[in-house]
Amino acid sequence: MASLFFLFLLLLLPLVVVVLLLLLLLAIIVRPRPVRIPLKGRHVLVSGGSSGIGFALARRAAAEGARVSILARDPDRLRDACDAIRRDTGVDAAALAADVRDPAAVARALETVGPVDVLVCNHGVFVPQELERQSLEEVRFMVEVNLMGTFHLIKAALPAMKQRGKETGLPASIAIMSSQAGQVGVYGYTAYSATKFGLRGLAEALQHEVIMDNIHVTLIFPPDTDTPGLAEELKRRPEITNVIAASSGGMKADDVAQKALNGIKSAQFVVPCNFEGTMLSIATAGLSPQRSYLMAFNEVLGASLMRFVGLCFQWNWFSAIEKWHAKKKCK
Amino acid sequence: MAPSPLPIASPLLPLLMAPVAFAAVLAFIVRPRSVRIPIKGRHVFISGGSSGIGLALARLAATEGARVSILARSAVRLQEARDAIRLATGVDVAIFSADVRDADAVANAVEEAGPVDVLVCNHGVFTPQELEKQDLEEVRFMVEINLMGIFHLIKAALPAMKQRAKATGLPASIAIMSSQAGQVGVYGYTAYSASKFALRGLAEALQHEVIAHNIHVSMIFPPDTDTPGFAEEHKRRPDLTNIIAGSSGGMKADDVAKKALNGIKSSMFIVPCNFEGSMLSIATAGLSPQSSFFTALAEVLGAGFMRFMGLCFQWNWFSLIEKWHSKKKNM
Repeated sequence: MASLFFLFLLLLLPLVVVVLLLLLLLAIIVRPRPVRIPLKGRHVLVSGGSSGIGFALARRAAAEGARVSILARDPDRLRDACDAIRRDTGVDAAALAADVRDPAAVARALETVGPVDVLVCNHGVFVPQELERQSLEEVRFMVEVNLMGTFHLIKAALPAMKQRGKETGLPASIAIMSSQAGQVGVYGYTAYSATKFGLRGLAEALQHEVIMDNIHVTLIFPPDTDTPGLAEELKRRPEITNVIAASSGGMKADDVAQKALNGIKSAQFVVPCNFEGTMLSIATAGLSPQRSYLMAFNEVLGASLMRFVGLCFQWNWFSAIEKWHAKKKCK
Repeated sequence: MAPSPLPIASPLLPLLMAPVAFAAVLAFIVRPRSVRIPIKGRHVFISGGSSGIGLALARLAATEGARVSILARSAVRLQEARDAIRLATGVDVAIFSADVRDADAVANAVEEAGPVDVLVCNHGVFTPQELEKQDLEEVRFMVEINLMGIFHLIKAALPAMKQRAKATGLPASIAIMSSQAGQVGVYGYTAYSASKFALRGLAEALQHEVIAHNIHVSMIFPPDTDTPGFAEEHKRRPDLTNIIAGSSGGMKADDVAKKALNGIKSSMFIVPCNFEGSMLSIATAGLSPQSSFFTALAEVLGAGFMRFMGLCFQWNWFSLIEKWHSKKKNM
């Protein structure tokens, strides 16, 4: 009996040592180093902040004592949003009416509210459709708003952010609202996934460029979220997209906003919002930076299983596509 | 009496069966199923085909007996390319002059060329620079050409491709030239990586949409390649980008073309071009489809280690960025 116990220990001990060594190694190499991004008393600007996730983010930031500006196209919806924020938090948010497709308008708007500490590029449009059926105007619309619009925002805010960061010595944040469709492309999302994947390439490179200015980049990856935007999208969704998207549960805008804000405050590069999102983030960690050695440990240990799970999902999705087409043929 | 070997083997048996069972499951679930895409006698259409990787691809495809069309902006360079290919292979390629940013011009060129079997979206421009310093016009230039240009090509070619694939019963291919900068974003590449990452989102979704029509999507991820385009880029590269990009070896256009064409013919979704590229592809496999059992096995087994390697690379890169900045400060 004793010999079996010692055998067990003999096998377990090196395993424990390996795990501890790995944790130590990861703690040494994870970059960039972790920081806390304070919100209280700082200037948070949220694009697409008059509805949906952006509005929920603005309200939460205001509740946490930030000075909040919201940017959107429609002055009426902006006013309604500001009223709601004042009602719920007592805070007066600044309203900026501008179309993110217009870089000059964006630059003008940002100038009126002064330097930004936390820039939340949250705006986005999404029209799902098979590329073969979709008009190029709609594709262009998504690329202009989701991708170029974010470039416009960052370009406009960056100089003053750097200056501000130098003066205050406090870490700043550029947060970008992506989507689970920015982690995997599925049926009906050629244009939308293109724009959201694009934001990831932008973010990875941007973090390299702004780290020395104490600016920290965060990408948030929500699932389907209960917003006016989603209601619009659902009207247009191809059947197959609905079947596939059911693989991940939906969330409320306020819960996404909470996860987002927590991620921004911890300067996490990748911020998942639910359990499936966390699995997806491990599977698609790629070469993204990781500040938390514990999260890095999860990524390294979980990567193999997650790739296998990913392959299972694709098996499921391609089978669903096959079945749907076969059913359609038989009609 | 000889001792029976069975009691000793029995605890080992399930241990041996597990990996075999796992391999069997993997072989069963990989999707889409692998196909061979024949090139001989088929119509290969290559954008950006008058120089660099595109020209090398055109020459190679012509050598393999394909009917080749090349698309580019400059009529002069197109004629030079045609002459060069005729000289090298004896084959006459069809030339089409159009700017991929112009959807109508692209549609006209594709219509004139006739139904395509293998569409190679190879064109691309790249101007590396820190986003803070880069003109928004340059950012837009890269997004318009690299991303919208490919939407234009696919939109124009898709209907006739479907028709052709149905009529011939042969598998067709849409191949997209990405870059290692489309697998990881690094200093100086906000716009370029954005455009290349976007192509991945497009490709993953597109594969779902066209698989039922026997069209197979391939993405090629070359490293720095010895081309006129690269020579131009190199002049503009920030110091730090050079330091970081040194992590992956360069290649000749012909070698990239060879890897690309092999990948297209095997309907591989992800086509790496060198050793570092293979490692990068395992690290960034994410939720991409995988039609090869062996590659799937490599991805699942290697995922954890590759994530660790990725974290090491980021540790190295952020350290380099830090060092470079402190050196600059001390000057």
